[in-house]
Amino acid sequence: MNSSSAEGKRRQRFDSLVAVFHQDMYRFAAWLCRDKAIAEDVVQEALLRAWKSLDSLRDDAAAKHWLLTIVRRENARYFERRRLETVDIDNLTASQAALLAETPNRELDDLREAIFGLDDDYREPLVLQVLMGYSTNEIAEMMGLKQGAVLTRLHRARHKLKDSVAEA
Amino acid sequence: MTGEHDNDFEQYQALDLKIAKALQIDVPELRMPELRDLDTAKVASLPARKRSMKPLWFAIAATVVLATSISLRTSDLFETHNSLAAEVLAHLDHEPRAFDNTRIPVSDARLARAVPASLAVYERGSSLITYAQHCIINGNDVPHLVIQGQHGPVTILLMPYEQVKEETPLDGDNVKGVILPFGKGSIAIIGDREELLEPIQKNVVNSVTWAT
Repeated sequence: MNSSSAEGKRRQRFDSLVAVFHQDMYRFAAWLCRDKAIAEDVVQEALLRAWKSLDSLRDDAAAKHWLLTIVRRENARYFERRRLETVDIDNLTASQAALLAETPNRELDDLREAIFGLDDDYREPLVLQVLMGYSTNEIAEMMGLKQGAVLTRLHRARHKLKDSVAEA
Repeated sequence: MTGEHDNDFEQYQALDLKIAKALQIDVPELRMPELRDLDTAKVASLPARKRSMKPLWFAIAATVVLATSISLRTSDLFETHNSLAAEVLAHLDHEPRAFDNTRIPVSDARLARAVPASLAVYERGSSLITYAQHCIINGNDVPHLVIQGQHGPVTILLMPYEQVKEETPLDGDNVKGVILPFGKGSIAIIGDREELLEPIQKNVVNSVTWAT
């Protein structure tokens, strides 16, 4: 097989994986950083990194976990590089506010705002479980925590959201 | 009691459905970045084989023997070494802050986050560690440390999940280094071309213990 055809196959494989997982990558990034523009940057960086190390992904069945791990790492890098302040929910930038763009469903808007207001420590495992479908064991491994700590955070996150929704 | 429990469960299940809906934000159209073709020769070059002085028939015979006896085992191994070397050197491009010339040591907490006890223990000893980051290479956790050498920063990558059979030299644009087999994994050490890496290698090897 010549190198251009190998490169073509590699690109084809990459495009297929990105087509399947781009939405997950973006949503995960957006809920990690709470900013639409930054999420797009993080996904761009993650795609570049994934392209560079695609050959290390031996089993495409593990692609989702691999890509989300790269997104998580790129998000951490982004914030480390820029040393950004934490988000002040009462004083959002346009790009942060865009994540909370109103929908015709008031309850959904309130819940989205409540999720937005959760601490990173609570929001991340919640997104991984509810949106990405990971088990608490997998989340623990991904976040470098004990399973008990993940369970506690998930319980507290839900409790806070339940209270927020009840108050609204 | 059970009825109460069931009620709670149903409430949480209903809440989860709402949370899932709230998390489903609109996704903008995919903007694919410019993906350059990989040029492995640019990111890592392993030492070229020396030209053989044996006659042609010997070379052919040797090739046949190699192909029939050990190719299945060694081709994988060579590719693994080659791609790991490329990954290690490519990784340095992603960590520009690692090349800061600084004399400020990282805190113990920072070091502990970069080298979690579940992976390894790194005794800092007298080394001046100026950078510590938990990275991913080949999909595996890799603590990335930088110590200050005589000629600038020296990168150390602790790779508990990457086995190499023998020392693998690394040759980047302005850097040189080595991947050392170390217990169940390996350690990459990369520094300036002028840097004398041997004493650093000894020091690093004595500082690392893999988690069991």
